[in-house]
Amino acid sequence: MTVEHYYAPKHLDEALEVLRAGNATILAGGTDVMPQSESGKTPLRKTLVNIRRIAELTGIRLAKNEVRIGALTTISEMMANDLIRKHFPILAESGDHFASEQIRNAGTLGGNVCNASPAGDTLVPMLALDAVVELAAKPNGSVETHTTPLGSFLVGPGKTRRAQGELLVAIRIPVPPAGQVQRFFKFGTRPALDISAIAIGLAAVKTKGVLSHVRLAYGAVAPAIMRGSKTEAVLEGKRLTPELIEQAAQAAHDEVKPISDVRASDWYRRELMHNIVKRMLIDVHEH
Amino acid sequence: MGIAPEAQVETIAPHEARDAGTARTIEKDSLIGKRIAKLDAPDKASGKTRYIHDMNLPGQLHGKILHSTRVHALIKRIDTSKAKALPGVHAVITAEDVPYQRPLGVSKDHMPLKGDRVRSMRDEIAAVAADTPEIAEAALKLIEVEYEDLPPLYNVAEAMKPGAPVLHDQKPDNVAMTFDYSHGDVVQGEAESDVVFEDTFKLHYVTHCCMGVSGVIADFDSAGGLMLYSQTQVPFLHKREFAEILGIDPGRIRIVQPPIGGGFGSKLDIYPFEPIAIFLAKATRRPVKLIFSREQEFRISPTRQPVLLTLRSGAKKDGTLTFRTATTLHDNGAYTSWGATTPFVIMQTISSLYRVPHCKYHTTAVYTNNPYAGSFRGYGNLQATFAVEQHMDKIAEAIGMDPLAFRLKNAQDPGETTGQGMHFKSCGFKDCLRTVAERGDYLRKHAENIANQAKPERYKRGVGMASMLHVGGGAKIYPSDGCGTIVKIDDFAHVTVMTGASEIGQGSETVIAQLVCEELGVPMEAVTVVNNDTDVKPWDVGVHASRTTFIAGNSALGAARKARDKILAVAAKATGYDASALDLRQGTIVMAGTGEAIVPLAKLLRSLHFSEKADLVMTTHYYEPPSEHQDKGFKGDVSAAYAWASQVIEVVVDTDTGIVKMEKVWGAHDVGRVLNRLGIEGQIEGGVVMGQGYALTEELIVEDGVVKNPAFRDYKLVTAPEIPEMDVTFIESMDGEGPRGAKGVGEAPAICIAAATANAIYNATGVRIQTLPYTPENVYRALKGVNR
Ligand SMILES: Cc1cc2nc3c(=O)[nH]c(=O)nc-3n(C[C@H](O)[C@H](O)[C@H](O)COP(=O)(O)OP(=O)(O)OC[C@H]3O[C@@H](n4cnc5c(N)ncnc54)[C@H](O)[C@@H]3O)c2cc1C
Repeated sequence: MTVEHYYAPKHLDEALEVLRAGNATILAGGTDVMPQSESGKTPLRKTLVNIRRIAELTGIRLAKNEVRIGALTTISEMMANDLIRKHFPILAESGDHFASEQIRNAGTLGGNVCNASPAGDTLVPMLALDAVVELAAKPNGSVETHTTPLGSFLVGPGKTRRAQGELLVAIRIPVPPAGQVQRFFKFGTRPALDISAIAIGLAAVKTKGVLSHVRLAYGAVAPAIMRGSKTEAVLEGKRLTPELIEQAAQAAHDEVKPISDVRASDWYRRELMHNIVKRMLIDVHEH
Repeated sequence: MGIAPEAQVETIAPHEARDAGTARTIEKDSLIGKRIAKLDAPDKASGKTRYIHDMNLPGQLHGKILHSTRVHALIKRIDTSKAKALPGVHAVITAEDVPYQRPLGVSKDHMPLKGDRVRSMRDEIAAVAADTPEIAEAALKLIEVEYEDLPPLYNVAEAMKPGAPVLHDQKPDNVAMTFDYSHGDVVQGEAESDVVFEDTFKLHYVTHCCMGVSGVIADFDSAGGLMLYSQTQVPFLHKREFAEILGIDPGRIRIVQPPIGGGFGSKLDIYPFEPIAIFLAKATRRPVKLIFSREQEFRISPTRQPVLLTLRSGAKKDGTLTFRTATTLHDNGAYTSWGATTPFVIMQTISSLYRVPHCKYHTTAVYTNNPYAGSFRGYGNLQATFAVEQHMDKIAEAIGMDPLAFRLKNAQDPGETTGQGMHFKSCGFKDCLRTVAERGDYLRKHAENIANQAKPERYKRGVGMASMLHVGGGAKIYPSDGCGTIVKIDDFAHVTVMTGASEIGQGSETVIAQLVCEELGVPMEAVTVVNNDTDVKPWDVGVHASRTTFIAGNSALGAARKARDKILAVAAKATGYDASALDLRQGTIVMAGTGEAIVPLAKLLRSLHFSEKADLVMTTHYYEPPSEHQDKGFKGDVSAAYAWASQVIEVVVDTDTGIVKMEKVWGAHDVGRVLNRLGIEGQIEGGVVMGQGYALTEELIVEDGVVKNPAFRDYKLVTAPEIPEMDVTFIESMDGEGPRGAKGVGEAPAICIAAATANAIYNATGVRIQTLPYTPENVYRALKGVNR
């Protein structure tokens, strides 16, 4: 299908108006939209809406007890931002392993979320950090917004709960509680320009060797980024010991549902889950 | 008027400079061994180079090919009527439209357009020429094809079973080719052995990944002459072959080679897209440009030959090798390209890298419905060296000898003639071995790493060594292995070198210019190399077998020497000095002894041109190396010189993930002599990285005849941060036949890497992995003993 209408609105309001009519492709950085349309995987729809000029979708601000990250924030901007580096070091770190400089300058956080790849790199730390997404629509002539936890927003490969006509405007992440430790690990077979074979994000409060508020997020081991709730349960409220760590690593190994593809087999992904969760917890234990 | 005005006629008075009292002296200065920037580098770096992709001819159409969607099937019906009706389409052709087409390839088993049957997913069944690539693409989608599937053959073992489907009627057993070689008596060799090992090594599919995808532009003139803008590495051989496929006179084909974005052997054979573009040009009477997409490049271009190699080797307790038997099975794919003939090189490494008194070799190449392999830098030698060098380590360990001493004991020396008849006139092999071992501190690290294997550390360090032998003075596999050169010098002392050699990024034009400059005493800026037009350049067999610097270099030297002799003779006559007392330096005739400047070269040439016996300096030279054809048993001194190299690699293995990090590579290369230091360093560094990709990251994943990773996202080339530190030493054995002592080096640096990596991983972990590539998962599985 060829694009028949192209819009580049300056205001959220206008964009939502166009989206309400339906049959539109939203274009942010285009680093997923372009290759996917080029390969025929997701052809462009009749209307192409370039949202990059909408100021309301930019900026990173501290509001109440959370940080609000505009959907158009690029991976590079996110990595360089002081609020993010201070409160969510693992989110900044996930940018280090993300594609290449060129892609990081163009690709946005909103795009990474809405593309909903099971291997989306920023999604893993964001899920571990209890992120929620803020969505806007204009169903009856006026702009309405609502929020949804990231975990329930992502449903499967390329699938989200975003309704037609909705735009993701921001991602909101609560400021972490005192004593929170964070860890991130992306395993690809090479240091740059690689899609994750697995990725793990960990956030937990550590007091006197005991972990609480444990959040684990796993990437590329299930149809969508998943929480490691069984592993969390093993760890919650417990003192880290070599035995507990082994038990948690085993739980991680068992609870993921990876597939075999050209990047890695399911068996190998499980092995990596075990070995890397173990290394991460040893690291948390020792530091 | 045609007559030069009086004022322009320059005459040279004898002893002119001296008489003028302005004598200046010019020291002798050599370009050999200097770091000289490649002549094509500024244009390439600034984006000015015009590759075939950038070329467009007036009136040009765009060609696209419809490929099979089945691995093995009969074509029951092709309907092109809808495609033909699409506005903007000028021709849609199938095999029916080109009844004159003839098969191509090494065994002539491959029709450009397939009419009744497809044997692989790369098979070409129809083609379109249209005003734009988009229209051509849309037209392909309108072609209807009805298939009737045939039972497929995905592996060699199945294909060899009695009763297996037959892929080519003329080969009812599916055996595309066999090779047999022997010297001595392996039974006797085995009887004399104290240790014997037999192992099977499995080598995978990789592909060249040229940054410039494949393409061609075909254009007929009104008289029926064909102009082909082509990326070929062998323009003169291809003139003949195109003529056969097309049924036209080879003399009417002119091949122009625009700058090419990578060859590495991939353009050594004709593939169907080229004749198909020509068919389209013929059908439309318009120039037709046909360029692959990156995905097609992965799916359709040739691969490196995948090999299953079983090696049996023995040695005495004192470290003397006793025999070697190698049996290889090659997946030939659906059609035969050069990959099938890699045994030419594989057997050389088996028989002659080390002194092996008894040797036996056999290859069977078997048709399947998989991709076919072509030629690829190293031509089977990466595969052979992978097996041989792992066995060298294994035997050394079994007899309790250190791996260096064991290699030195069996390494070839200068002067040796091997069982296969290769005569090593220059041979720096032992120097290579000692040099890398010392620079890499190999023996100490090797022992230390073994001691560390049992420790519980996550990261294990290992060092591995491997060496290689490769042709370094051409390879006489065709009736001739020669190259011609024409040198002309204009009135301003600008030199044009017309060489038969083709430039594929390896730096040949720079080294050829350098050799000519050295001979004629002119600066590099004074030379233009013309090397891309078969109507201009003299014959050459092509760019392959690491031959260009050696063969084309010698040819250029010959032509330059003739030009030099002529210039000095003219100078002698003009100045009254004896020619032997004169020299050429910095574009000036000087006194050889003192460097005293006598007369500028340009002035001398003009005086020759505008004299009564008017003449120009134009010389030609044809060089044919003093090598031999192999006999039917593959014996003979096939190259005029042989290149050697040893490499030591240090790796760190992460036992938690299987990641192998290549930290450092030490290389010692017997290159005869360094001509362009910058060029040869680049060649070696690039080759090491190509070898690294083969060893660690690259794999064309083929499942049931289908390429599963036709994109750089999933076909993993090495990226910059992964490239190891390199320490390269050149061993200058000064080959007597080589141009100023040089030997070929193009393929050498890629050859040892996988083998040395295998040995390094073993040294780190105690686990020997005989299957490539060493991707994290494959290594991790091997460490855990869990097969796929
Ligand atoms: C070479 C390469 C390497 C890559 N490497 C990585 C990597 O390492 N890790 C990784 O996670 N990803 C990677 N990607 C994928 C991609 O870069 C990221 O997903 C990026 O974050 C997408 O952002 P974008 O702004 O370019 O999105 P776009 O391509 O513009 O959009 C992506 C999807 O989201 C929708 N969308 C975008 N913004 C909104 C919005 N505000 N509201 C509603 N819908 C919206 C679009 O319609 C589209 O469906 C890579 C891509 C390339 C080309």
